[in-house]
Amino acid sequence: MAVEMRLPAVHKPISLAASQSNRDDKHLVVPGDVITSDTGFMRGHGTYMDEDRLTASVAGEVERVNKLICVRPLKTRYNGEVGDVVIGRITEVQQKRWKVETNSRLDSVLLLSSVNLPGGELRRRSAQDELAMRDYLQEGDLISAEVQSIFSDGALSLHTRSLKYGKLGQGVLVLVSPSIVKRQKTHFHNLPCGASIILGNNGYVWLYPTPGHQDEEAGGYYTSMEPVSLSDREVISRLRNCLLALAAHKVLLYDTSVLYCYEASLTHQIKDILKPEIIGRARCVTSRAQLACANMAVPATTNDYKKSAESYET
Amino acid sequence: MRDTPLSNCERRFLLKAVEEKKRLDGRQTYDYRNIKITFGTDYGCCIVELGRTRVLCQVSCELVPPKDSRPTEGIMFFNLELSPMASPAFEPNRQSELLVMLNRQLERCLRNSKCIDTESLCVVSGEKVWQIRVDVHVLNHDGNLMDAASIAAISALSHFRRPDVAIQGRDITVFSPEERDPIPLSIYHMPICVSFAFFLQGSYLLVDPCEREERVKDGLLVIAMNKHREICSIQSSGGIMLLKDQVLRCSKIASVKVSEITELINKALENDRKIRKEGGKFGFAESMPKERITALKRDEAPVEMTDVQETASEIVNRTETPTEAVSSPVLVAMGTAQVGEGIVNSWGLDEDEEDEPQTEDTKTGSSNCKHTLYICSEKKKRKSTKPSKRK
Repeated sequence: MAVEMRLPAVHKPISLAASQSNRDDKHLVVPGDVITSDTGFMRGHGTYMDEDRLTASVAGEVERVNKLICVRPLKTRYNGEVGDVVIGRITEVQQKRWKVETNSRLDSVLLLSSVNLPGGELRRRSAQDELAMRDYLQEGDLISAEVQSIFSDGALSLHTRSLKYGKLGQGVLVLVSPSIVKRQKTHFHNLPCGASIILGNNGYVWLYPTPGHQDEEAGGYYTSMEPVSLSDREVISRLRNCLLALAAHKVLLYDTSVLYCYEASLTHQIKDILKPEIIGRARCVTSRAQLACANMAVPATTNDYKKSAESYET
Repeated sequence: MRDTPLSNCERRFLLKAVEEKKRLDGRQTYDYRNIKITFGTDYGCCIVELGRTRVLCQVSCELVPPKDSRPTEGIMFFNLELSPMASPAFEPNRQSELLVMLNRQLERCLRNSKCIDTESLCVVSGEKVWQIRVDVHVLNHDGNLMDAASIAAISALSHFRRPDVAIQGRDITVFSPEERDPIPLSIYHMPICVSFAFFLQGSYLLVDPCEREERVKDGLLVIAMNKHREICSIQSSGGIMLLKDQVLRCSKIASVKVSEITELINKALENDRKIRKEGGKFGFAESMPKERITALKRDEAPVEMTDVQETASEIVNRTETPTEAVSSPVLVAMGTAQVGEGIVNSWGLDEDEEDEPQTEDTKTGSSNCKHTLYICSEKKKRKSTKPSKRK
């Protein structure tokens, strides 16, 4: 039996000197903070007028566009933009649509006309297709989709009109805050450590074993039920713990930051990554690696960033 | 705000556990969670904790004109509220199906069973009667709100004291608690609801489902009974088909549970009465546990110990003899250490068992069991210029 002991200790605040300058430019407020006493500004979201003073009603960053002041909250439900990649869970099967839960204020909608038919045919959806909806997606299924448009009430309309979107098979879902997922060109990555990741903009991250061969004809209908090997499972477990460690320190998630954290964690056992001391250490190494890469013109390899990380070591 | 929907694997896990007669918190099929009943300083205020489900009940009274159809009877008014404090799924002022169901069942359990003598609440026939108002607030939702609410309501009603009145002709004098001692309500019996959750089309049942178990249930059977084995109400929801002997079995289980719970309520009432008589401190402030950082208190978690001896000896026989014990613990990070290493990772698939011995070398786990315990002290194994703040 392994016995773990922890002594009470003072938590060292992790401060990164290089990135401190970035923080000062941002105007962060908490609810109740007065933003300005100038009456010439228009009030936007996240603010209210308190006796001629513009006050913040949410905790976040102040954004100013000409005369409009609004506060963008740091912790919020997912606000969709057109073109975002999201991962959602089917909650209802309705007449010609599915209701998908995507961590937003309203359930998103996946219309029957926005999914690919089996075999990839292009035709008008018939009543047969409507009756066969449940054979494709049931309540509780996970899907990856893209935001097509936004309804007037704020609900998102999704589509899975590409072969890379569709029903998700075996893998691990990690829930993080939507604000820490970085907006990138592509959200589907095959990590070199041996797993694949989908970073949904809505805070849902999907980790799955890299598929051996691409099934082109299936079009998202076929989910492989083959048993996943132990090594793949370990990689995915380690990635999941790394994601939670990064999320605990509000580090922006994108493929390289996840990869650096994974490599930094290789020295520890998978179950140790979630300990607060290890999280702090992993976060330091990850951010140092990121800074090292930002300062280098060429993309860094593992050895390069380790060398420069040592040079940062006090 | 809608609750995050349950994932498929969680649902499958819960149903599989039910099939194997295992529950998430280690209880048996017919076991209730820990029930704690505490009373406040005012008469008629009571908090019931059923595991992590917390329900607060407050009873109050008022003199009102009676109903025209019943001029000699007092009025009982029940109100149950699902506060957003209980669960993010509850919205304030939102009439949901659960709320209606709970309210109706509470009314049926307490009003229709005639557990309170309403005739004794009459002050002047046709003019003034006591209206007893029972307000139940759900403070935390961890499953089985119905049982907790009924226990809270009947405890609060038994605890409640109404002001004494004197009638001279048509004049009514209501005495304050300082002038004359308030009078308890006359309660004939204590009806208590017992909930049974059914799974997999009625083949498995659980008593006192927790919140996760409630999410995957097929149907619910609520039996309100008193300790004299009289059934006050039965309600079956969810549309599952129940067999006659299932219902009879449930009522037998319910009678056992109800007598235990009635014992508990009476003991709690007795304790409260004693403390008030002796002049000691009573109320919520005394009964709430003080959560201090220096006090470590955890609930007992029941552990399955049936075949521990055989399993342990099997594992010990299977592993190799350990090498000499290493004296120093492994420093994982500043302030945490690990003594010993666990045994081989058995979380593998059947097909991969042949591959496991090869991958074991790359993993940090080994098949040694070390049984030495050391108190770890903070040792700095790497040079650091920052002085430590701890001695």
